[in-house]
Amino acid sequence: MSASAEQATPLAALARAQDALPGGPGWAEWRARALERLLALGLPTPRDDAWKYTNLRILGKRTLVPALPRPLGTVALDVLPPVAGPRLVFVDGRFHPGLSAGALPAGVTLTPFAALIERGQPALLGPALTGPDPSAIDVRIRLLNACFAVDGAVLAVAPDTAVAGPLQIVYVATGGGAYPRTEVELGAGSALDLIEYHVAADDAEAFVALASDLRLGPGARLTHSCFQLAGAHTVLLDDAKVTLAADARYRHRLVALGGQVARLDLRVALAGHGASAELAGLFLADGRREHHVRTLIEHRAPGTRSDQSYRGVATDRARGSYDGKVIVHPGAAGTESRQSSRNLLLGREAAVDTRPQLQIETDDVKCSHGATTGALDEQVLFYLLTRGLDRDTARALLTYAFLGEVLGLLAPEALRRAVEARVLGRLPAAALIREFLA
Amino acid sequence: MSNISKGDILLEIRGLTVDVQGRRILDGLDLTVRAGETHAIMGPNGAGKSTLSQVLAGRSDYEIRGGSARFLGEDLLALPAEERARRGLFLGFQYPVEIPGVNNVYLLKAALNARRRQQQLPEVDAFEFLALVRDKMKLMQIDEALLSRGVNEGFSGGEKKRNEILQMTVLEPVLAILDETDSGLDIDALKVVGHGVNSLRRDDRAVVLVTHYQRLLDHIVPDHVHVLVGGRILRSGDRSLALELERRGYDWLREGAAAA
Repeated sequence: MSASAEQATPLAALARAQDALPGGPGWAEWRARALERLLALGLPTPRDDAWKYTNLRILGKRTLVPALPRPLGTVALDVLPPVAGPRLVFVDGRFHPGLSAGALPAGVTLTPFAALIERGQPALLGPALTGPDPSAIDVRIRLLNACFAVDGAVLAVAPDTAVAGPLQIVYVATGGGAYPRTEVELGAGSALDLIEYHVAADDAEAFVALASDLRLGPGARLTHSCFQLAGAHTVLLDDAKVTLAADARYRHRLVALGGQVARLDLRVALAGHGASAELAGLFLADGRREHHVRTLIEHRAPGTRSDQSYRGVATDRARGSYDGKVIVHPGAAGTESRQSSRNLLLGREAAVDTRPQLQIETDDVKCSHGATTGALDEQVLFYLLTRGLDRDTARALLTYAFLGEVLGLLAPEALRRAVEARVLGRLPAAALIREFLA
Repeated sequence: MSNISKGDILLEIRGLTVDVQGRRILDGLDLTVRAGETHAIMGPNGAGKSTLSQVLAGRSDYEIRGGSARFLGEDLLALPAEERARRGLFLGFQYPVEIPGVNNVYLLKAALNARRRQQQLPEVDAFEFLALVRDKMKLMQIDEALLSRGVNEGFSGGEKKRNEILQMTVLEPVLAILDETDSGLDIDALKVVGHGVNSLRRDDRAVVLVTHYQRLLDHIVPDHVHVLVGGRILRSGDRSLALELERRGYDWLREGAAAA
């Protein structure tokens, strides 16, 4: 992003853009500090290890200046699956009451981030942005979000509340910078199913930097699904940070289909005894699209478990990456961890980088990792041909089957079916393999 | 019904010469298979048995250097693998692959319908098809629970082989080539497989068994036995040739070939 980003968005413009944002002097000062720190760290360059797989040139071609509120053209929300339950819609990072629907379930409270700004309470969300980050992870996307976020959802689930049905958050981008902010606090013993969607028209030249903080109290359960359907000219950086107390359980499901460059940075801290995280996802990058997944799982307490399973498909000249690191800190005895990244290349110019890493600082752990990247197995293809299937059908079938394991994890069913239909729609010869699907 | 009669030539191979990764594996092989016949092709490891099976089924990464193969009068080698299957050529694999995520039944139904479209027959519906498969599964003593799994997913070695024969009995090929179907089978499974293959034998079809050992031939009695050594058929005979091989091994044939 460095040099080219500065061309697209001069630093002075960033500072000026901050002047136009709402909030009292407390917020202004807080945002100025975030910008100052961001600039001190410098914008990412290809030399930054955390960004080595991401195409920073495309990032630099988008303006970072936040989009101003404007009359909304047509927003194609009909691409969303018919999942029942309340839906909060944010357009360019601002809550949109007209598109939002449904009452919040009992036990869930929502505080608009904009209301916090009005109340002048920046400190509430501040800590992560000030001191040095203990996990030494790249914080620049979070800083960027802090510079410009004006709205978002701050959700709290009361202790011992199992929220019925999923809660949905839709992020719509229409062009320019969007900086939604999401905070979820799950009380002890509570449970929530959260689904996020990213949507943008194909012609929207958008830059979205979403920052989420999810905190799970003791024994809390969160299933967090992200269905990414952003437009062809959207750059999407989704930075989520999850902290789990004892015996909490976190599940993340990623389905990345859209965007020009789309990246998920997911940091999970298993801070309490017996906490577990199960991450699974798929990306389907075609054309010149880029899909990147970067995870960091920190086992900080004994008896913690993590499981990661990512499947990537790249066709044409698309790019993808899985860059995952697991750290087992001293004292996290009895840790179990598994990482799996499998990738399918369906074009001679397609490429996927994969880098599973393990850093173990204690004994008594059970950790495994595996990664593969390659074309469809010719032996398997041949088997299908000898059963009378033509090559296109066989290829489509195997590609779909490759993603099947992750697709099968998606819930509720309406979401899974919608994703399956979308994935099918993206495969060549999709019509040919319908008879294979129940 | 087919218009094939007993004694019609189904497969005619002349001088077939094939290289695999630059090495000559088949070296001028001749073979004629007629309707109503069961052939056994026997030979030591590395003789080219699997290469022959795979070339006939349409493996495209083997280099054909010479010769011809005709199936039902057509140039077999000019047809892509799927067209061969649709015309009624079936290969039972020595090592059936596992395909998680591709359902056993759906694959088999698609395979059958691909064949029926070629024959200009109406496709079978799901109901008819399930009845047919259940029937054949009983014959092959395959647990119905395996139906809902991915193709060969988590199957034992014996289950995979029985699944191949199940596919064959459902598809009712004109010519079935069974590559080392007996390897990895215990005595009981061998009987079941033998039973399945025998159920397919008819005047308008043929079976080619490719095998290292003669024990399969106790269950499926061949009309013709061929010995494949060094990429060509060195000797042909009847059932007694298989028994002789069992007694004497393959070396005496090689010595004979060297002397000749």
